[in-house]
Amino acid sequence: MSETVVDILGAIVKRGANVLLDVPALEIRRGEFVGVIGPNGAGKTTLLNVIAGFERFEGKLRLFGRDAGMKRARATRLRIGYVPQYLNFDPAFPILAREAVMTGAAGRIGLFRSPGREECAKGVRLLEMMRIEHLAARPLGSLSGGERQKISLARALIQEPEILLLDEPTAGLDIAVQKEFLALIREIHRSQGLTVLYVTHDFNMIPNSMTRALLLMKGEIAYDGRVAEALSSARLSSLFGSSLESFERNGARFISHG
Amino acid sequence: MADGLIEALRYPPMQKAALACILCGASCSMLSVFVVLMRMPLIGVSMSHAAFAGAVFGMLFRANPFVSGLVACLLTAAALGPLSDRSDLAPENILGIMFSFLTGLAFLGMGILTRTKADALNLMWGNLLTLANRDVAILVAVTAAPAVFIPVFFKEIRAVLFNRRLAVSSGVPGKGIYYALLFMSGAVVSANLASVGGLLIFALLVQPGATALQLTYNLKIFFVISIAAGVGACVVGLAVSYYFDLPSGASVVLAATTIFAVSYALSPKRRRAGKTTR
Repeated sequence: MSETVVDILGAIVKRGANVLLDVPALEIRRGEFVGVIGPNGAGKTTLLNVIAGFERFEGKLRLFGRDAGMKRARATRLRIGYVPQYLNFDPAFPILAREAVMTGAAGRIGLFRSPGREECAKGVRLLEMMRIEHLAARPLGSLSGGERQKISLARALIQEPEILLLDEPTAGLDIAVQKEFLALIREIHRSQGLTVLYVTHDFNMIPNSMTRALLLMKGEIAYDGRVAEALSSARLSSLFGSSLESFERNGARFISHG
Repeated sequence: MADGLIEALRYPPMQKAALACILCGASCSMLSVFVVLMRMPLIGVSMSHAAFAGAVFGMLFRANPFVSGLVACLLTAAALGPLSDRSDLAPENILGIMFSFLTGLAFLGMGILTRTKADALNLMWGNLLTLANRDVAILVAVTAAPAVFIPVFFKEIRAVLFNRRLAVSSGVPGKGIYYALLFMSGAVVSANLASVGGLLIFALLVQPGATALQLTYNLKIFFVISIAAGVGACVVGLAVSYYFDLPSGASVVLAATTIFAVSYALSPKRRRAGKTTR
């Protein structure tokens, strides 16, 4: 059995009297592709933030076999890549696409060192993998939403993480770009053997390479297990509070309003 | 006209004034890059009011106004850092609250101060012609700090300015870089208070960076343009004030605003953005 990379032994996140997340136990093993699915306000992003070290929580979290809180060693941070829903920045910000990718390598390179030839070549390779190498010298602010998300993914990958956290990375993108982005994630998971946690509330954009589904509702785990079971009509209807029909056609899963 | 200025620069007080003005332009405009790119212009105004309040209370308790101003700035930076890290408070609201609190504190000190109100008011406008050698040495030190820090930590600074949260997640010491920038802002503001005054510092902490933002997508060139705009505004403002016998602080602020207006009008970035949205 593969190694446990994320082990939550109780994690509670509160905002005033509101409990945003209450996970008594959750174990994620190396190489898993976990889809974190739930409606708005279910605690999906909060769960990712706890693992990423952005959120204060009560309880115990172990990453790669070691206790981790918000404060954690640089070596632990380097092993976790994070792709936010949007790259929040001023479009006039002085940064080119390739420079934005290289910001992800800054921690790994370390203090008092400049990116060497090897790091720069890796940046170029990642841009090629995202099929946006022609945009390398363009200002980041001039790129489209989909192109920026690919930069964001490349930025996380240049860090050489073992866990990749993706927080609704296809939100706001058009359907063709969403599909292209999901294909990239699938390819990265397959070729690099990363552990992936993929948050979404859009059940029509659930990656078919998911190996496990985690359904969240009101900050608690409503289901944790097989993808086919998680995406059943009954479970999804109960989760989203709406009549939904889940069916497979030509090997792909479709979900429609019942 | 140039002969008159060269002649004036033969006198030590004028030499010190010119040097202080250039150092002020350089130090403030380096930090202006952070103020503008982190979209926190109130940092400048909060820091200048912290230094002002600290200096006023220093006068009240017969302490060195520079030291008390520096302590107040550093305390403000120490409070701003953790407060702006709290997810339940928006940084701009924290800065607004700090700014109004510090203004209230400064005016409270002014109200209590019975003898030397004129000295306290000088802190608002500064006085370039009464600087001691020690004041110039302090200015050199606070200008040297960011001048060394920025090239040494350039890649970390770029990552933090781009997105502090992502920088931290990539293993960059984001908190250390951010706090260092806050402390340097505090030191720069308090050191410049006696020479150029709180109001001018605020202008120089925003306008040079805003000027550079109009002109380049390259962060290294951004720093160069910002420093050129800040120092240029100081030199031009000082020369104009000398020839036309105008208040130097106001002349420098107006020169900085003119430079910004020209850069805005000629901005290739703005034209490019206009084309893409059409």
